[in-house]
Amino acid sequence: MSENNVNLQAEDIEVKAEARETTEVASPTLNTMAERDMAKITARQKVVKVLVKVALYAFLLTMALIVLFPFYWMLISSVKSLEEYNLAAPTLFPQEFHFDNYTKGFEIAQLDVLFLNTVYVGIVSTALSLVITVISAFAFARLEFKGKNALFAALLATMMIPGELFTITNYQTINNFLGLNSLGRELGSDFLKSIGNWSNTYTVLIIPFLVSVFYIYLLRQNFMQIPNELYLAAKVDGTSDIKYLWKVMIPLALPTIISITILKMMGAWNSYVWPRLVANDDAHKLITNGLRSASFVDEATNMTHYPQQMAAVAIVSLPLFLVFLFLRKYIMKGVSRSGIKG
Amino acid sequence: MKKRIIAMLLLVVMIATACLTLTSCGEEEDDRLHITFYHTMGENLRKVLNEYVKQFEALYPEYKIDHEQIGGYDDVRDQIATEITAGKQPNIAYCYPDHVALYNLALAVKTLDGYIDSKETVTRADGSTEILGLTDEQKADFIQAYYEEGRQFGDGLMYTMPLSKSTEVLYYNKTFFDVAKAIYTSDVELDVNGKPTPVYETDAEGNVLKDDKGNNVIAYEKDANGEYILDANGAKIPKTNPNPNKGNSMYDLFIPTDWDEMKLICQRIIAIENDRLTEKQKTAEGVTFITDENGYKIYVDKDGKKIAQVIPLGYDSESNWFITMCEQMGLPYTSATGEKFLFNTADHHAFVEEFREWYVNGYVTTQEIHGAYTSTLFTAKSGTKSYMSIGSSAGATHQRPSKDASGNYPFDVGIASIPQYNEEAPKVISQGPSLCIFEASQEEMKASWLFVKFLCTNVQFQADFSRESGYVPVIKSVDTDPIYSDFLANANGGDNIAALSVKVCLEQEDYYYTSPAFNGSSKARDEVGKLIQSCFKISKEVSDVPAEIKKLFDKAISECKYHAQ
Amino acid sequence: MAEVLKKVKHGVWDVFCVEWIWKRFCVDNVYKKFDKWKGWLYLSPAIILLLIFTVWPIFNTVRMAFLEDYNSLLANRPGGWEFEVGFGNFAKVVQYGEFTTCLTNTLLLCVLTVPLSTILALIIAVCLNSIKFLSRFIQTIFFLPYVTNSIAIGMVFAAMFSVVGNFDSGLVDTYGIINNVLGWFGADPIDWMGTGSYTIGEFPWPSYVVMVIYIVWNALPFKILILLGGLQSVNKQYYEAAKVDGTSRTRVFTRITVPLLSPMIAYVVITGFIGGFKEYSSIVGVFGDGMGPIGDAGSLNTMVGFIYDALPQQQLGRASAAALILFGIIFIVTMINLAVSKKKTHY
Repeated sequence: MSENNVNLQAEDIEVKAEARETTEVASPTLNTMAERDMAKITARQKVVKVLVKVALYAFLLTMALIVLFPFYWMLISSVKSLEEYNLAAPTLFPQEFHFDNYTKGFEIAQLDVLFLNTVYVGIVSTALSLVITVISAFAFARLEFKGKNALFAALLATMMIPGELFTITNYQTINNFLGLNSLGRELGSDFLKSIGNWSNTYTVLIIPFLVSVFYIYLLRQNFMQIPNELYLAAKVDGTSDIKYLWKVMIPLALPTIISITILKMMGAWNSYVWPRLVANDDAHKLITNGLRSASFVDEATNMTHYPQQMAAVAIVSLPLFLVFLFLRKYIMKGVSRSGIKG
Repeated sequence: MKKRIIAMLLLVVMIATACLTLTSCGEEEDDRLHITFYHTMGENLRKVLNEYVKQFEALYPEYKIDHEQIGGYDDVRDQIATEITAGKQPNIAYCYPDHVALYNLALAVKTLDGYIDSKETVTRADGSTEILGLTDEQKADFIQAYYEEGRQFGDGLMYTMPLSKSTEVLYYNKTFFDVAKAIYTSDVELDVNGKPTPVYETDAEGNVLKDDKGNNVIAYEKDANGEYILDANGAKIPKTNPNPNKGNSMYDLFIPTDWDEMKLICQRIIAIENDRLTEKQKTAEGVTFITDENGYKIYVDKDGKKIAQVIPLGYDSESNWFITMCEQMGLPYTSATGEKFLFNTADHHAFVEEFREWYVNGYVTTQEIHGAYTSTLFTAKSGTKSYMSIGSSAGATHQRPSKDASGNYPFDVGIASIPQYNEEAPKVISQGPSLCIFEASQEEMKASWLFVKFLCTNVQFQADFSRESGYVPVIKSVDTDPIYSDFLANANGGDNIAALSVKVCLEQEDYYYTSPAFNGSSKARDEVGKLIQSCFKISKEVSDVPAEIKKLFDKAISECKYHAQ
Repeated sequence: MAEVLKKVKHGVWDVFCVEWIWKRFCVDNVYKKFDKWKGWLYLSPAIILLLIFTVWPIFNTVRMAFLEDYNSLLANRPGGWEFEVGFGNFAKVVQYGEFTTCLTNTLLLCVLTVPLSTILALIIAVCLNSIKFLSRFIQTIFFLPYVTNSIAIGMVFAAMFSVVGNFDSGLVDTYGIINNVLGWFGADPIDWMGTGSYTIGEFPWPSYVVMVIYIVWNALPFKILILLGGLQSVNKQYYEAAKVDGTSRTRVFTRITVPLLSPMIAYVVITGFIGGFKEYSSIVGVFGDGMGPIGDAGSLNTMVGFIYDALPQQQLGRASAAALILFGIIFIVTMINLAVSKKKTHY
C-alpha cells in the first residue's frame, strides 16, 4: 500500500521535473531551423519526415522497453507466488499479489543489519572522504608549494593502475597494519594486536578507499575555474583559508561536491569485492555481499524462491532509485563531468 | 582562529580514524589468559560447548575460552590461513588434515607428542590434580583408527586430536519402501499409504458404515471367502479389490547394499512413480511412454519432458563419492609421496561414465548440480522428490522431514550403510573435525592443550555432543554413560534420528578409510568433486563421451599439479 | 633557531597545531616560510593514505611477483623463508589452464561488449538528439541501469534466463521468461544458465550470451550520456550546411556526426576497455561465486577473479604476477587505443 504511494509521488515528481526541463531545454535555434525548413519542404518530404519520426520513436521506445524490462520483471516477479512464478508459461502480470514476499525476503537476507552496516559505512566514508578531497583539491588549486606539479602528476599516474593490483597487498596490510599486529604479538600487547588487525571491522571498509584521486582531480578543476583574484583579495583581508573555502569555494563548487557525495554513497552501496574479502562476517556484511550470499531456497519445495529473491533485490534497489529520482541532475552531471576529463 | 579550525579539522579526521580502529577492541579486559577457539558449530552445539567451557573454566579459573563460529570448514581454513600471515591465528581450531598441511607451510601447528607424553602434574582450582599428558587408560580409550589420524602427516608426529567423527550413510524413505514392499506382497489392492482400497468409513470394530462414495451401506456381510458389501440391487461387491501389483517386480524395493542393486532400486522407484501417475496424466494429449531396460514405462509429454517428478537418489558430496569409489574399487587416488595425483586411469573414467549414465537417466543428482543439499529433495513436500539420500551421518536431523500440522512426521526415515562395490572389503569415508593447536606462548599452548584434552577425553561431553549432533564419539567409554546408552536404545527414524545414525556408524567402525593429507590434497578433493559435476553434465549431443571424460580428467590433473608446485 | 624550527616542522605534533601557534606567536617572515609548505600539510591525509594503500602496494606487488612461488604462509615461517628471485610466477601463471580461460574470457567479453555497446549507444544517442518530445523522459529511462546495484540486477537477469528444474533429465517446471519469449518465435529452449546446451570444456556460449547482454545493458547508460552530451555540444552549423547541400542522412551520420563525436567515442571506448578488463562483479551477480554455470564452475572466470581466487590460500606471488600481467594488458591496449584515436579523431 505504502509502496504504491511512494510510487505515485515519485511519478508525480517525475512529471513535474519533466515539464520544467523540457521547457528549459527546448533550444531556440532548433525551433527557428524547423520553421525555416517548413517553408521549403514539399509534401513528399513532409511524409518522409513524419515516417522517420515515427521510426525514431518506435526504435527508441522499443529500446527503452528492453532496458526497462528487467526492472518490470523484478517487480512483477516479486509479488507472484512461487507456483505462479514456476508456471511453464510465465505470466506477464501477477494473478495474485503476494506482498508477504517482501517481508520474507527482507527477513531471509537480513536486510535490516545489512542496511544499517551499509548506511553507516557509506556515511562515515563519504564524510571523511569529502573532507580529504576538498582540502586536497584546494591545496592543488590555490596553494603554491614546491613539488606541487610533480605530486599532482604522480597522483594522476596512479589512476592508470587497476585497483586489483592494490588489493593483494592491502589485504595483507589490513591484517597487519604497519606491522603493529606482529609487533603486538611479540610484545604481548593486545592493544597493538587489535589496532594492527582490521579484518572484520568497519575500519577496513572505510579507510583504504578514502582518497579518490579522481574526485580530487575533478574538484580541483572546478576550483581552478573560480577566479584567483577572489582568493588573493581574501588573503589581503586576512580571511583564513578555511573561511575562504567555506564561504566562497564550496558554495561555488557545490554541484560538483554534491555529485561526488552521491557517487561516493552509491559506490558504498554497490561495493562488493573488497567487503567480501575483508569483512565477510555477519556483523559487518554489506548489502551487496549479504544479498548475493543469502539463500532463498524454499523449504517446502526445495526450489529457489525467485519471488522472494526478487523482492529482496527490489528493496535493495529502491534507495538508489529514490536518490536518482530526486537528485537526477547531480548524478547525470557528475557522471557526464567525469566524462569530459580527457 | 582559522588555523585552529583547520588543525581541529585534521584532528577530528585523525581521531575519527583512531576511534574506528579502536571500535574493534572495545571488549573489557580481564587478567585471565584468553584462549580463542574457531569452530563451525551451529547454535545447538554451541549450547553444549558453552556448558563444558564453563566446567573447564571452573577447573582452571586462570583461563578463559573465547570460542567463535566461523562459517563452514572452508571459511575456517581461509580465515586462519590469512590470520597466520598476520600472526593472529586462534589457539585452537576445528581442522581437517589438509588444513593442517596448509597451515604447516608456516609451521604454525604445534605438535602434540610433547604434551601427550608429559608426566607433569597440573593442579586444578578444586585442589585435585591431573597429569598434563594422556594416561595409558585415556590413550587406550580412544578408538584407535581415529586417534591415529592425527599422525597422517608423513613425519610420524601427532598434529591433531580427534573430537568427533562422522561418515556417509544412506538415508531412505522407510515409509515409501515399506508400502512398496507391502504392495508387492499383499493380496488386496493397497493405496499409496499402504491402506486397502477402496477406503470405507468403518466403526471401531472395523464394520463398514459408509462406502467409498460416502453412501450409507445397505448391508454388509462377512463370510469365509471375505467381506462383502451389498449394493442397492443386492449384488455382492467384495470389500477389497484383488491386488493388480502383487508380484510386480517394480514394487519389490529393498535396501541396496551394492551399486548394481542401487541402480535397480532407482529404476524401480522411477517406475513406481510413473505407475502412480493419474490416468488423466497418462492419457493427456501428446503423452507417450518409453520403456527402460527392465520394461518399466516412463511417461513423457509431447516435448519429451518426463512427467513423473522424481530423482530417486541424491548424493550430497561429489568429492566423497569419487574418493569413496576409488577406495571401494581399490583404485589409487592420491599419494603423499612420489607421484601425487593418481586418479586418472581408465578404471576411474569407467566408473564416472557409468554414474553419468545414471545422472542422464535421472536416477541421481548431487548437491552442486541440484544447487542445494540433496536432503531438500529428500524431505520435499512437493515438486521433485527423492527417496534416497547419501549424506553425512552428522546431518541426520536435516534428512528428517518437518512435522505436519498434526505433529507427525510425513514419513519415517531409515538409515543404512552406503552401497559397496566389493562387499568383502567395505569402505566408508571417515570425516568429522579434529582439533589442532597453534603455535603461541608456552602458557597459551599449555592451556589450549588442557582444553583440547578436556573435550576429547570427557565422557560426558563426548556423549552430549554426539547426542546433539549425530557425530560419533571418539572414545569407547561413552558406552558407560547411562544417558547415552539410553539414547542409543531409543533410536528411531523420527525424533531420535540422530541416535539411529550414530548406531549405524558404530556398526561400520571397521570400514573407515582416510586419504593422505599433503599440501595440495584439498585441491585434489575439490577437483575430483568438480569432475563428477562436469562429467555428469557432458552434453547429450556429444558423441564420444569417453574421450570427453578423459579430457576433463587430464585437465583436473594438471590443475592439481599446478597447485601442488 | 631556524634549525630548531626546521626540526619541529618534521615532527608529527606540528601537523596538528604548529600553524596555529605560529600564527599567534611567530613573526611574519616565519609565517611566510610556513606558507610554502602549507600545501603539503593540507595534502598530508591524502598523501599518507595513498602511500599506505596505493604506493606501497605497487612496490610490494612487483616484489612478490618476482619472488618464486611467494606464499605468505611460507614467508611467515619462524625464521623466514628464502624465495628465489625470478620469472617463475609469470611462467607458471601463463602455463596454468585456468589462467588461459580467465584471460580468454576477459578479452572475449571486452571485444564483444565494447563495440556492441558503443554502436548501440551511438545510435540511441543520435536518435535521442533528433527528437524533442519526451526526449528527457526517454533519456532518463536509458540512464536507469546506471543507478543499479550490478550484483542485485545481475540476480534479476539470472532469474529471467534461469530454467527452473532439471534441464538434462527433462524434469522442468518453467523454462523461464526469455526462453518463453523466444519460444513465440519458434526457438527451442536453451539452458542459458546451465550446461545443458553446450559441451563442458568447450565454449560456454549460452553463458556468454547472458553475460554479453547484461554487460551491454549495464554499459549503455554511461555511453549514451557521454555521447549525447557530445552531440548536444556539436555546432549546429555543420548540420545546417549539410541540409542546404541536401546530404543524405547516412552521409550526415558517417561524415559529420561520427567524426565530430570522435573524441567522445574514443573516450567511451577506452574507458569501456579498461572497465572490461576488470570485469568481475557483473559475473558474480549473474552466476554467483562459482563464476560459471553449475557443473562448469570457473568457465566464466576472469583475470580479476583469478587474482582474488589466489588470495585466501595466500599464493600471493602468482596473484601478483597475474595482476601485473593484467596491468600490462590494460596499459598496452590503452596505448593502442590512444594511438588509434589520435589518428582517427578529428577535432
